[in-house]
Amino acid sequence: MLTRVLRALAPHATAHAHCDIPCGVYDPAQARIEAESCYKIIQKYNESQDELFRARCIHVKEERAELTKHHIDVMWHDYFKPEHVEKFPDLHEVCWKASKQASQVKRTVDIDEAQKLLDLIDKIDMMWRETGGPKATRLPTPA
Amino acid sequence: MRRLTAMFGAALLSALAVILVDRLGRSWESRVAVLGHSMEPTLRDGDWLLVDADAYRNRAPRAGELVVARDPRDPRRLLVKRAVSVALDGRVSIAGDHVAHAEDGTRIGPVDASAVIGRPWFRYWPADRVGKID
Repeated sequence: MLTRVLRALAPHATAHAHCDIPCGVYDPAQARIEAESCYKIIQKYNESQDELFRARCIHVKEERAELTKHHIDVMWHDYFKPEHVEKFPDLHEVCWKASKQASQVKRTVDIDEAQKLLDLIDKIDMMWRETGGPKATRLPTPA
Repeated sequence: MRRLTAMFGAALLSALAVILVDRLGRSWESRVAVLGHSMEPTLRDGDWLLVDADAYRNRAPRAGELVVARDPRDPRRLLVKRAVSVALDGRVSIAGDHVAHAEDGTRIGPVDASAVIGRPWFRYWPADRVGKID
């Protein structure tokens, strides 16, 4: 009975609201590589006495941190789905913190902050692996 | 005089009711289900919408208005998106609302004015989100 009522009420056409180019390729490694750059740049910054070099370090680190943030946001907004949040209730919390931590790394030369960012990205990586990982979102690499 | 006002009021009300029922009826004829996430948070996957098929009969959509249009890549497919801009030739650029997709700058279109089917204006399901949309 209920299904008959529902069938009568249901629309007879679907209107697609898919993302315009859903390429479906995702990997937190993209964020991790940029975050590792930040980590190494901060190391080099702290070891150097050369003011020009240090100025360049700051500049490049800020660029890399911004890219890290972008790649974290792509995982968060595009890859993760409601069923993944059911599996990992702290998913939003982790992504939010990671995104904020990327901003933190942008404005500091404290190596511990860069490490915190890497740890948060590793948490996202774990959730990605547990919800499909490379099999679902990467092309197979030749052996 | 009073009676005349009352009669006039009643006539006006019934005229409005007829227009409303007519609009509802026509919209009911072109109701659609949303598939996908690109229109979040405005529209969600699985929303059921009434589409006003007359909305763009006499004018082009304006930037910011919701549209249901035939997909230029496959006319059998319908799209629900938001009009971003309208060119002088009447062609409409459309895009999704979702922040991450908007950031991609990936837009479909432009679509031909004749491919625009109508304006979704009311969500009638799910029950807890019933209401006007724009």
